[in-house]
Amino acid sequence: MPATPTRAGGRRSRTALRLLVSVLAGGLGVAAVVLLTLNVVRELRLLNSASSDNVQWTLSQAEVEFLELDIYLGEALRTDRPDLQAVRREFDIFYSRISILSNASIYAPLRYVDSFDQSLRTLRAFLDATVPLIDGPDHTLRQALPMLKSQAIDLRPVVRMLSNSGLDHFARTSDERRRSVSETLIQLAIGVMLLMLMLIALAAYLAALNAQNIRRRTEVQQTSERMKIVTGTSLDAVIVSDDNGRILDFNAAAESIFGHAARDAIGQDLGAMIVPDHHRAAHTAGMERMRAHGEKRVVGKGRVKLEAKRANGQIFPVELAIQSADTENGEIFIAFLRDISHRVEAERQLVKARDRALAGEKAKTDFLATMSHEIRTPLNGLLGNLTLLQDTRLTAQQMRYIHNMNTSGRLLMSHISDVLDITKYDAGKLRLNPVDMNLSQLIQDIVDSQSGAATAQNSVITWGWTGPPAHWIRADRERIQHILINLIGNAVKFTRQGRISVTAEVLDDIGSDPQVRISVRDTGIGIDAEILPHIFDDFMTGDSSYARDVGGTGLGLGIARRFVRALGGDLSVESENGVGSVFHASFPIQPVAAPAPAAESAARGSGTAPLDVLLVEDNEINRMVAREMLAADGHRVVEAHDGREGVTRAARERFDLILMDISMPVMDGRHATRAIRSGEGASARTPIVALTANAMADEQEAFLEDGMNDILTKPLSRDALKAVLAACGAAVTASAPEAEGPKDSAAAEIDSRQIADLRETLGAEALQTLLGRFESEVDTLIGWLAHGTPPGDEIMQRAHKVAGSAATFGAAGLRGALVAVETAAKQRDEEEMAKAIARLGPIWQATRGRIG
Amino acid sequence: MLRLAFAVLALTTLPAFADPLPQPGGDVILTVSGDIDVTNAGNTAVFDLGMLRALGVTEIVTETIWTEGEQRFEGVALVDLMARLGVEDGTLRATAINDYAVDVPVSDAVEGGPIIAYIRNGAPMSVRDKGPLWIVYPYDRSAEYRSEVIYSRSIWQLNRIAIQD
Repeated sequence: MPATPTRAGGRRSRTALRLLVSVLAGGLGVAAVVLLTLNVVRELRLLNSASSDNVQWTLSQAEVEFLELDIYLGEALRTDRPDLQAVRREFDIFYSRISILSNASIYAPLRYVDSFDQSLRTLRAFLDATVPLIDGPDHTLRQALPMLKSQAIDLRPVVRMLSNSGLDHFARTSDERRRSVSETLIQLAIGVMLLMLMLIALAAYLAALNAQNIRRRTEVQQTSERMKIVTGTSLDAVIVSDDNGRILDFNAAAESIFGHAARDAIGQDLGAMIVPDHHRAAHTAGMERMRAHGEKRVVGKGRVKLEAKRANGQIFPVELAIQSADTENGEIFIAFLRDISHRVEAERQLVKARDRALAGEKAKTDFLATMSHEIRTPLNGLLGNLTLLQDTRLTAQQMRYIHNMNTSGRLLMSHISDVLDITKYDAGKLRLNPVDMNLSQLIQDIVDSQSGAATAQNSVITWGWTGPPAHWIRADRERIQHILINLIGNAVKFTRQGRISVTAEVLDDIGSDPQVRISVRDTGIGIDAEILPHIFDDFMTGDSSYARDVGGTGLGLGIARRFVRALGGDLSVESENGVGSVFHASFPIQPVAAPAPAAESAARGSGTAPLDVLLVEDNEINRMVAREMLAADGHRVVEAHDGREGVTRAARERFDLILMDISMPVMDGRHATRAIRSGEGASARTPIVALTANAMADEQEAFLEDGMNDILTKPLSRDALKAVLAACGAAVTASAPEAEGPKDSAAAEIDSRQIADLRETLGAEALQTLLGRFESEVDTLIGWLAHGTPPGDEIMQRAHKVAGSAATFGAAGLRGALVAVETAAKQRDEEEMAKAIARLGPIWQATRGRIG
Repeated sequence: MLRLAFAVLALTTLPAFADPLPQPGGDVILTVSGDIDVTNAGNTAVFDLGMLRALGVTEIVTETIWTEGEQRFEGVALVDLMARLGVEDGTLRATAINDYAVDVPVSDAVEGGPIIAYIRNGAPMSVRDKGPLWIVYPYDRSAEYRSEVIYSRSIWQLNRIAIQD
């Protein structure tokens, strides 16, 4: 479009030039005609205002008057009494005529004619000579009459010559005059003809110009018609305005969308007409900016969402695109507007529906989370009391019942946990909690824990790496543990007199993180081909009576697969009915170097020295269970019923450990923790362990940020509690060894329950093997330490590993001593380490005697 | 005084009053005949130079085509003469000594119009010098007085006038 004005301008200037030339030519023509006309008028005036008298008549009259004089002279001679008066009169008249011819200005040119001049001279000479006779007395005149008569006869041809030459001259002059007039008239005629031709040419040119204009106008009209049809049938409103915001065009769609008739809208201010009142100022400023600096924020920027106003004042959303164009009348703007109120409404409905669905989903999740919490809390109480009941004096039958109740309770708890896990995963709240972990150790532990069950089924369970191993990785230990327990547990359950083999293999994919594939293969009953595709579906259980025997919610594999997927991998299965099954769990891993020993500290173990414990818990049953568990291990327990009481107690008294419930009335656990940590109370630096029923990963992080040191998940298990206490006790022992001093009796303490548990799970034979391995492990370590190795990572790792084993067998005292060695090694405290190593020997001697 | 009285009479729109003409004392130089209200010689009115002078002297200074240079004419205005004779319309037939005659419409007799001249350049005009009377128009005053028709009406050696309808 920018070329248009130039083209139009060129056309205009050419037209102007042609017009100018035409006008000039016309003007010249007119001037020529005017000049010629003036000539003609002058000529005519010359003809009209005759400078001459009737010259021919005058000249003839001279001859006539001479003849009269001659006649009177003749008559005077014939009579005796001549009429002298008449002679004198005729003489005077002739004299007067000749005077006129001699003096009058109109005869001046004539007097240059020789013949005329000569005749005139002759006549004047005669007249002048005769005047004395005429004026003289009568008798003198009478005597002169004959002489005068004869002179008159002689003068007759002279007078004729005078008049003839004069007439001849005037005839010639008249001819010339006529010729001149005729020439002028011819010139005028030619001029007029030329002018006419010019006018005809001009008329032809104007006609052509007019035709061209008509053609152009028709073209423009057609284009305009077409544009009108296009804009008129457009479903979008099309509004054209000038740079002052005056509406120039308003199509049919605009009429129906905005509710203004086009005839009302055209000429109005665009802003006042369609811009909502609250956007008016911005609109005006925008127009102003554009006029001032040519700044365009919306024009040519594609589709923009805005609000617009209808005739009835209703505000509605529009999608708007504006383009500008340069025209002869300045810049114009073409706005295409689409009423998107329906779309926006639909979007709003969709968003609402989605929000409702999300809210419903959240409500469901919240409900499930709350319910599982609410179920777990009393179940926690139930199981805790069962644990306590076990420690009382019971008959063998009662013991069996309690064992069954305990088994059922833990199964129920695991089902609730499953539901909670699914809920979390489906709600997208399943957070990974990666820690540095020893994968081999984990598999080993699980295989160990399942080996008892396998033995019970007369099956053999083995495991090993295929290819190079990857012991230390950074991953979510709990999830992996859950997956493997499920897969291996299933394999054990469904295999009788068979073999379960677990293999781990690192799959190095080029360009991405390495993956580990853990395959669990069994020679069990296998899975029906029909069920196989649905094996990972929720609530899927085998239909065989056998499967029913082993029971299960049918959620196990579903959760396992969810967890594998959460880790970024996948879980697959191959199976043949009656031959066996193999499950492959593959997920990316992050190999890491040897970790800090603390990462593996949560091993099972029993408390060491008696500790002062502050138990902050509002639930009475839970409080009682925890208290009994702690008291059973010989710890001193102080109770607080809510966070505030806990803070008060902690400020007053120095404790070795604070167990802090999270949700409590008056002041919750997190507030209380922050209060204790920020205060200068006696227990400001005491380890605080959270007690929570449903801690998610992000919440756990928050607890740690609040100043908590660890987290215990309810229901409180004796093992977990002991592990925490052991860690804490080790720290206490390490930090204040002088004050406490070694307590051999306590140091050699053995949790016989742990051994009993193991015996129950593994069988006496396996336990014996394990114990043998453990004893040689400890002996090796003590022998190696005796060489006086300097504190360092190696001591730290080896002490840690043996401490873990000690915990497994419930050798809390030994474990505490080993942890002290580990801690000292970690701190590079040679002196402390030497003391800890020194204590190891006696404790090990005491312990060995008791676990045998 | 006479003219004034006439003017007063004319203004009163009374019919032309025949104030009797005196008898000429000198040579008669102009004889007027025809439809006139005032006479002094039978049906005609005759004038000598004195009587013409008594009708008021009007001067015209102009060039003519028949003379060389500027000419100073003195005479009686035609309009004054016509008024004296009570002529309001019609035609004058002016005739010269040699019987040459032209017709002059009475409508030519206007203020600032032609005079019947008897003095040219301070001297009376002889017959030899187009005298005794010459009807002279103020040719220089207007182009309309420089036409063939006017030139033909400028009769000299005039000695009689007949008033016709």
